[in-house]
Order: sequence, then C-alpha cells, then structure tokens
Amino acid sequence: MPIDAKVVHDVAALSRLQVDPSEEARLVKELASILSYVEQLQALDVSGIEPTSQVGSGSKPPLREDRVKPSDVRDEALAQAPDRDGDYFRVPRVV
Amino acid sequence: MSDAFVLESAEAIGRSVLSRERSAGDVARTFLDRMDRTAEQLRTYLHRDREQTLAMASAVDARIARGERLTPLAGVPVALKDNLCTRCVPTTCGSKILEGYLPPYDAHVVERLREAGAVFTGKTNCDEFAMGSSTENSAYFPTKNPWDLERVPGGSSGGSAASVAAGEAPLALGSDTGGSVRQPAAFCGVFGLKPTYGAVSRYGLVAFASSLDQIGPIARTARDTALLYNVICGRDERDMTSRAEAAAVPLEDLERGVSGLRLGIPRDLIGEGVDPEILASLDRVAKALAKKGAEILDVSLPHARYSIATYYLIAPAEASSNLARYDGVRYGFRAKTDDLQAMYAVTRGRGFGREVRRRILLGTYALSAGYYDAYYLRAMKVRTLIRRDFEQALTRADAILLPTTPTPPFKIGEKVDDPLAMYLNDIFSVPASLAGVPALSFPAGMTKANLPIGLQLVGRPFEEATLLRVARTWESENADAARVPRLLSERRS
Repeated sequence: MPIDAKVVHDVAALSRLQVDPSEEARLVKELASILSYVEQLQALDVSGIEPTSQVGSGSKPPLREDRVKPSDVRDEALAQAPDRDGDYFRVPRVV
Repeated sequence: MSDAFVLESAEAIGRSVLSRERSAGDVARTFLDRMDRTAEQLRTYLHRDREQTLAMASAVDARIARGERLTPLAGVPVALKDNLCTRCVPTTCGSKILEGYLPPYDAHVVERLREAGAVFTGKTNCDEFAMGSSTENSAYFPTKNPWDLERVPGGSSGGSAASVAAGEAPLALGSDTGGSVRQPAAFCGVFGLKPTYGAVSRYGLVAFASSLDQIGPIARTARDTALLYNVICGRDERDMTSRAEAAAVPLEDLERGVSGLRLGIPRDLIGEGVDPEILASLDRVAKALAKKGAEILDVSLPHARYSIATYYLIAPAEASSNLARYDGVRYGFRAKTDDLQAMYAVTRGRGFGREVRRRILLGTYALSAGYYDAYYLRAMKVRTLIRRDFEQALTRADAILLPTTPTPPFKIGEKVDDPLAMYLNDIFSVPASLAGVPALSFPAGMTKANLPIGLQLVGRPFEEATLLRVARTWESENADAARVPRLLSERRS
C-alpha cells in the first residue's frame, strides 16, 4: 500500500505521536523513500528460513536466584516526576 | 604539567597514578584544563561538572593512599556517552524528552568503572537516542570533527570519539547498534570496538534496539581499547543476554603478531561507491599484514548488501517499542494538556526530534497488522541469511577485513535532509551488528585532505582478542602515537 497522509496519520495515532500537519507531506515523502528501498528484501527467497529475533552466542545464560533485593530509590524516582501528589504520579483527566 | 601529557595512553596514565608518580587529582586537572580550551569549540559534551570530576579523582587518591589494590584504570579519565545512566548525573540521550533527567542508578559499566578507579570527564553528545550517523540529530547541538571543524565526527557516539581524538580523555564509552561506536571512531581517527552481542551488560544503557545494542570502548591505541573492554565485559545477571564467555583480553596476547592468521576480504560487499583512498588503504594494510605472516584470502558475504534494508526494519521496530516508555508520566518532559491521551501524543510529538519520530513511525508501520509478515518477519529471516554468511566466512577466515565506512567524514549539513543517504553510510558496519559478531574499527591512515580513514576487523563470537591483535600488529609499525588534530584555539595561542 502506498504511503499517504492518511497512513501517516493512522500510524502516528498508533504511536501516540502528534504529527504537525505541516510535517505530513515531508514524512510521506521520507517514509515512502525508505519503504521503497526496503522493498529489495521481497526479491529474496526466504522460504524455510527461521527468523532471527535474537542472536544468542555462547552458553544459555544461568537463571539468577529468585530473591528479593533492596532497591531504595523510591524517593529519587518520585523526584523525577513531572507532576506528583505525595507518593503518586499525577496525570491529567483520564475520562 | 605540559599539554603533551593529555596524549599519553590510558595505560601510561594509569601506571603513573598507581606508582604515585602523579596523583589522580593532577591528572584530572590537566584534562579538565584541556577540555576548557577544546570542548566548547568541538561541542563534545552535553554535561560536564569540574567539581564532580575532581571529587572522583581525590576519592581515587584516597583509595591508593589507603593501600587499596586498584586496576590499571586507576585515575584514568573516561568520557561516557549520554545514554549511559549515571546516578544523580544528568542523562539525556541527546533528547529534549529527557532534559533534566537524573537517573537513580548507575549502569553496569558505570559501576564497573567506578570500582576500577576511573574518573569521569562528563557525558558526551550523541544523536538523539543513538539514532544517527553524524551527531547532528542531538537535540542540543552538533559536535564537530576535531580534524576538520566543518565536518561531522560521525555518530551516534560522536561526542565520545571526538573527545578521545582531541585528547580530552584517553578513553570513552559509546554504544553501537548499527555502527555507532565504529563509524565515529573511523571518522575521528581512533579505535572503536563493538563487542560480541552479549559480551557487555546493557543494564543502565538506555535501550534503542535491544537485539542489536552493545556498549563499546573508544581509545587511541589497541592496548587501551583492550584495557577498557576488560573492565566492562562479562556476565551480569541484570542483563539476561550477557554471557560469561566474554573474558578479559590479556594485553600480552596483543603482541603475538599475525603469523598464520587468515584474513578474509569480502570483495563482493566492497563494491562501487567506496572512496578510492579508502580502498587504497585497505590494500596497503592487507599487504602489510601479509608481510607479517597473515594469509589474505577472499571471502563472500552474499547477503550483506541487504543489511541496510534489514536493519531499517528491525531497528525501528524495536525502537518503536522501547521508546513507548517516554509518556510524560514518570520522568522527563511533559506537555501541558487537558486530558491524558493528548498528553501522551503532544509530549512525544514535541519531546522527540525529527529522526526519532521518523523511526517510531517506520517501526510502528513495519509491526502493524497486515504488514508484519511482509516487513518485520521477512527482515528477521534475511537476518538469519546474513548471520549464516558470517558463520561460513569465519570458518574459512579467522577475521574479516573491510572498510568501516565507504567515505571519509562528510560535511555538517550534507546529508541531514536525506535520511536514506545517511543510512547508506552504515553499509559496512551494520552487517556485523545483525550477525551479533565482534567488530573493531582501527585508524588506518589519513586521506590527502588530512581526514582519518578507518578500517574494520570482524571476528567470531567472543574472539575480540584476535581483532585487537591484528590491529595492534598494524598499529605497532604504522601509527603515529602523537598524531592528534591541531585545534583552532591552539593555533591561535
């Protein structure tokens, strides 16, 4: 499917990413150019080829022991909040 | 202390601190003074704090005075790419969305360096979230190449590579997803190692594309590269991909020469469009290594030419998922809006720069219903073919020799409006990333216009030592250790 302003708009919505209308034309052009370049993969025969989602060289990693460890960063983590209410992160109206 | 001191190797600096010939404090002050003269001009750092650096150095001096046994990196200044978390020290990844963020913890590699007694010079500039090949995608400012201030230092670890090249620090850490340590190392005339996938824990490295990301050392000598690698490699239970096989490289192994080693050149990948001076350098280095006893042969990587297409589906797909965490709720920038859904979209739309937004959209598209099989799944299958190419080539050869980049450093602004042209610059670095094998860029001379040329060695998993040994053999007879760019401020003074 060709990339057009509607596709960019839909994908932006899926990405929770506001795209400025003034950017749309440029994005359509750039994404179309990249997608047209990656089309070359369609020419390869990949039937029967297993996908590589992760390269795992070497041994299987040992599982770590399942035990509780202290992590005293609660206050420092909360201090990074753009908006907070006591020990809670505050966000704008949800519904 | 003379300025020539800043060009000493990390090895020599560490030795002098351990033997109490110099204090870590004196070393730190020398480098801080150097940076005061060069860092603003090169724009290498996003964050520097003189007092913090000096405090780290005096802590090292105190440990030495107490008789603590420290490592060869004791008192050695190290620059950190700004996507490595440093406790209570700003970590922005070159992004506005993390402006002012203070991580509550240290990355694994940062912990290791602290224990080793290294002293941090600051956080270096990079392309936003490590997405780029020129450091022009930093949301703050572009970094300049110390060899030519009108050119890019490469990216995304451009600040780290430029800082080491300019003598602001003898060592730096970068991260490499598709070439982000090796390409800037090549552009700045220094060494840059992308270790085997799994050799270094990424705990505390801000994630970009998790099946590809590795942290790697940048240095001015092969031995210094090994020294820094030795401190950061090995198993860490907080990164399930990290492996115990990743062992320290004994420095004496680097001096063993290349006699009997088989070096393969992938002539089928090194096709048209490669700068003739880089090709000439490749031939020169191959001949010199052959003289030293290496056997030079041709190897074939028939699917490597599909690497860029494969990478630009896999990496954005993973990035679109990894970057979902930047939602304006818990940390970083938040846009002011009336409701939650708008807050997410506006925060991310304004907080992320152009390239990051482009990749999130591309990755979301490649993963979306109806396109997953045609794009993402197919790319993962081609990745298998590329891996097999390397497995086969590396049964015939002990290492593969090829350029790091097709061209010398390009001009600032030259490729910024053509994303695809920027991506294609990574054609020689991306294949090893997809295969998960180790790769080292080493300085291999200068062009007639006095710009650095980098060549690359790619090896079998966990055989970093072989790559460093080959580069060391070339370096021991050809490198001019004192070779450092003359910066404008020095000319003026």
